[in-house]
Amino acid sequence: MAERILAIFDSADEAQAAARALQRGGLPRTAITIMSSEPAHTSTADSAGQSNSHIGTVAIFGGVIGASAAVLLTVLTSRRVDLVTGGMPIVTPWAFGIIAFELTALGAILAMLSRMIFEAGLARRGALSDYDEAVADGRVVVSLQCEDDSHRDIAEKVLGSNRKLDPPAQNAPTLNESTDFRRS
Amino acid sequence: MRSIRPTNAKINADLLRPVNKPGRGWYATVTVSVLVVLAAAGALTYQFSRGLGVWGINRPVFWALDITNFVFWIGISHAGTLISAILRVTGAEWRRPITRCAEAITVFALMIGAMFPIIHLGRPWFFYWLVPYPNERGLWPNFRSPLAWDFFAISTYLLGSIIYLYLPLIPDLALLRDKSRGLWRRFYGTLSLGWRGTELQWDRLERAVRVMAVVIIPVAVSVHTIVSWDFAMTIRPMWHSTMFGPYFVAGAIFSGIAALIIAMAVVRRVFHLEDYLRAIHFNNLGLLLLTMSLIWFYFTFGEYLTAWYGNEPGEMAVFRSKMSGAFSPLFWGTIVCCFAVPAPLLAFKRFRTIKGTTIASALVIIGMWFERFLIIVPTLAHPKLTFNWGTYRPTWVEMTLTAGTFGYFVLLYAIFTRIFPIIAVWEYKEGFSWQAEHEDLPSLNEPVVASGD
Repeated sequence: MAERILAIFDSADEAQAAARALQRGGLPRTAITIMSSEPAHTSTADSAGQSNSHIGTVAIFGGVIGASAAVLLTVLTSRRVDLVTGGMPIVTPWAFGIIAFELTALGAILAMLSRMIFEAGLARRGALSDYDEAVADGRVVVSLQCEDDSHRDIAEKVLGSNRKLDPPAQNAPTLNESTDFRRS
Repeated sequence: MRSIRPTNAKINADLLRPVNKPGRGWYATVTVSVLVVLAAAGALTYQFSRGLGVWGINRPVFWALDITNFVFWIGISHAGTLISAILRVTGAEWRRPITRCAEAITVFALMIGAMFPIIHLGRPWFFYWLVPYPNERGLWPNFRSPLAWDFFAISTYLLGSIIYLYLPLIPDLALLRDKSRGLWRRFYGTLSLGWRGTELQWDRLERAVRVMAVVIIPVAVSVHTIVSWDFAMTIRPMWHSTMFGPYFVAGAIFSGIAALIIAMAVVRRVFHLEDYLRAIHFNNLGLLLLTMSLIWFYFTFGEYLTAWYGNEPGEMAVFRSKMSGAFSPLFWGTIVCCFAVPAPLLAFKRFRTIKGTTIASALVIIGMWFERFLIIVPTLAHPKLTFNWGTYRPTWVEMTLTAGTFGYFVLLYAIFTRIFPIIAVWEYKEGFSWQAEHEDLPSLNEPVVASGD
């Protein structure tokens, strides 16, 4: 039966060592999630699939869409009004180019943001189901998705006393209830 | 000497303190700024009820304090996004405690600057008529007008700056979510988008911030260039200049850095963040301010030398009005405030302290406001045909509105610091990890000059 296990560590090094041990024990890397309060610049990043991002490509694509929208907006609108301009061109690349530049940037920004939210798995219902607020206190949480008993046995062996079986409900007091904040 | 990393609890407690217990300084700041904003709101209501005639503008000076404020605040907005993006792209590690201070300035300064063309319409409730889209009102959307370019540039920059502020804020919003209860928890939870801090999320966030930093730099440059083209695209004396774009951008970065230094000094003092906003940050920004002071003076000298050497009558009329005429006190005041005092002050390490850089920055802000006024009003007061020359004297309504912009900016900034951490908590923590990975490099968290206050 699938089961989620959380383990809480004091440092990123310990958490990453545990993740490597779990992998050596046979757990797939995709079943292990490490959560921390600051970026973990480690060699485990690539194996977690971080290198397959298309944020840059999508930003370029968004820029092309923005530029196309700018050209269509300016050219079609100006032509439709068909104002008499005393021999000057109605469609002028110099002036319209400035608008195209701005909308290119706007398209790139919006596309990048959308892609980032999608790739990072943000704004999804139930995103915090395997989260522990110990992260807020600077601790590092390892979340395991155990598909069968063998995975659970490996987890018990590797994680030892750091293991925490039931992820807390999101409104429950945190593990390390901090006394330095009162906002409620 | 290597700095010792404070505990996570201490960093959280210190950097979330402004959100938690802002202190008496914050309440005093908010009270004063609210009073100034109320006075400006009263002046604005009076203007709406009586019309634009309550301003001092008249033929031939149709742009005055309102457009001065527009240009000034758009310039100030270059403090944040541009400076922050440049520091990120160049990998300047000392940026960490100052980026959010800077990015927030951009958003609020842009909001204030963008208000003025709308207020100047006289009937601002019809502002949407300016939006250039195909419509049924028989209005021709003139995409060749620099004012239409302004609309696109400022909208893009404002939206981009909000996103650029928001992206690195997400992990801190999650931190606040975890530390809050009740409605605040729901508020921060919604804004943090379910952030958990997984490796994948950190990777994607850092990629997105890098892309944003690269995209936003040319946008920021384009915004103030386009604002300069509002003037340079006309054939008015001392406006029709090819160097107006870079001249405006340099002035914008100059005033933006000054605004950032002042904001940092105030935040540091009010929230007791002396351990985070250190002398090294003021020293480094002071060096940037010095560089921009020299660049600004170079552009100003080039601009006026060209007008003087050309000796064209229309240009010379404006030139003389600034050098020795009615506007000369403001002109020489600008030179003193932007170059004569700040440059020598910042050139000496001894004076590049927190106090020294803050004094220099205050002068630069005053000087740059004068400079914006001097670009606009003397040229309008001296059209090429001399029979049409005029003058301008601001009324209490315009002056109150101008004061109101400063009050409004301070108020927005103060509210921001009450809701969000003004120093990026995760970026600050990451700085120590970066330092640990680069043991061979000198410590970035140690002050290189003595504290000046």
